[in-house]
Amino acid sequence: MAQENGLFIYGIVPSDVEPTPEAEGVGSPPGEVTAIRHGELAALVSEVGLEEPLGRPADLTAYERLLDGTAVVAPVLPVRFGTVVTGEDAVEDLLAAHHDRFAAALDEFEDRLQYTVHGRFDEQEFIAGFLAENAAAGALADEVRGRPEVESREQRIRLGEMISQAVELRREAENRDLIDAVGRLVVADAPLPPSNELDAVRVSFLVEGDAEDEFVQAVEDFAERRRDLIRMRLIGPLAPYDFVSAHQLVE
Amino acid sequence: MTVSTTTGQSGSALERTSGGGGGTLADVVETVLDKGVVIDAQVSVAVVGIQLLEINARIVIASVETYLRFAEAVDRLSIVPKDQKGLPDLVGDAAGAATKGKAVSGLGKAAQEISGAVADSLRDRGDDRERERPRRRRDEER
Repeated sequence: MAQENGLFIYGIVPSDVEPTPEAEGVGSPPGEVTAIRHGELAALVSEVGLEEPLGRPADLTAYERLLDGTAVVAPVLPVRFGTVVTGEDAVEDLLAAHHDRFAAALDEFEDRLQYTVHGRFDEQEFIAGFLAENAAAGALADEVRGRPEVESREQRIRLGEMISQAVELRREAENRDLIDAVGRLVVADAPLPPSNELDAVRVSFLVEGDAEDEFVQAVEDFAERRRDLIRMRLIGPLAPYDFVSAHQLVE
Repeated sequence: MTVSTTTGQSGSALERTSGGGGGTLADVVETVLDKGVVIDAQVSVAVVGIQLLEINARIVIASVETYLRFAEAVDRLSIVPKDQKGLPDLVGDAAGAATKGKAVSGLGKAAQEISGAVADSLRDRGDDRERERPRRRRDEER
C-alpha cells in the first residue's frame, strides 16, 4: 500500500465495464480511470495524492462526467464524492464484503437512468398572479409600493412572508402535479428540497430506457402548460444519484 | 447561466441540460454533492477524509431578507409592464448581482441614524402589535 497515494472511488459497475482510455478522473493532472474487479463487480477508481486538495469545480465535473457517461452504457452505483481508500486491496475488500448487495442494486438500475426536473418561478409573473388573487396581499402591496424601505419595513416583511408562503404551497402542488403527470412513465420518483427560494419544481425520476422519449414528451407538455409562470429545465440523463440512498452502508 | 451547454428547440418551454457535468457548477454541485453510496470505515476499508472546498449546500430558509426581497419585487412590478418578456429577468439578475449588500444596508443604517424624530413619528403611526411580530419571528430564526 502506497503511503502518499490513495484510490478515489467513483462508482460500482458490473465487471464487464471497461473504462475508455480517454476517461479522465479527478485531480490535477487528471488521474487515469481504471477498474478493479471482484466477482461480478468492478469499482471505477483513479489514483490521487493524499495531500492533494480535491473538491475543485473541475474535480466535481470530472466525477459527474465519468458517472453520467458510464450510466448511459451500463448500470452504475455512484459512490459519494470524496471517498478515497488506501489501495487496491481495500477496494477488493469492499466489493467482496457487499458483493451480493451491490450486484442486486446494479440489477435494479439496468437500463434505467435518472432525470431531474428543476423549475423556477418567474418572480414577476408569480407575484403578479398572487397579488391579483389574494386581496389582503394586494392591499398590502398598494401600501408599500413606492415607499422607501425604512418607512414600510414591517409591512414589507409581512407582504414578503405571504409571498414566500404562497411560493411554498405552490411548489408542493407543482411537485405533486408533476409526479402525477409522469408517474405512469417512471420507475421511481424522488422529490428534492428546493435549492432556491423561487424553486417551483424539483424532482428526480428513475426512467426505463424504452420509456425515455415518452417521459421527455410528458415533461415537455407539463412545462408547456406553465410556460409563462415557470422556467422549466430537464437535466439528464444522469447516474442514479438520488436513488442510491437505500444502498448506503451506514450502520 | 450559460446557454452554450443547454439544448432545446427554440420555442420549447422545456430547457434541456445534458448530464455529464455539462451544466453550470451549481447544477453539478446540486446533482452530485452528498449523494451516492456511503462507504463506512467499519467495512474494513480505510476511508481517507478529503477536504472539500467550501461548497456549502445551499439551504433555503425563508428569512426576513427573503421577505424584503420579495417586497422589492413588488416595487418592480409596478414599473415593469407585465407583457414585456425578458426584461423582468434582466432586472432580477441585476438585483441579484448587487447582492443588496453594502449599498442597501448602508443606506438603511444612514436612514435609521437620521434622527429620533423620524423614528418617533413612525412609531406613532405604526401599530405596535404589527411592529413586534416580525421582530420576534426574526429572533426565533436566529
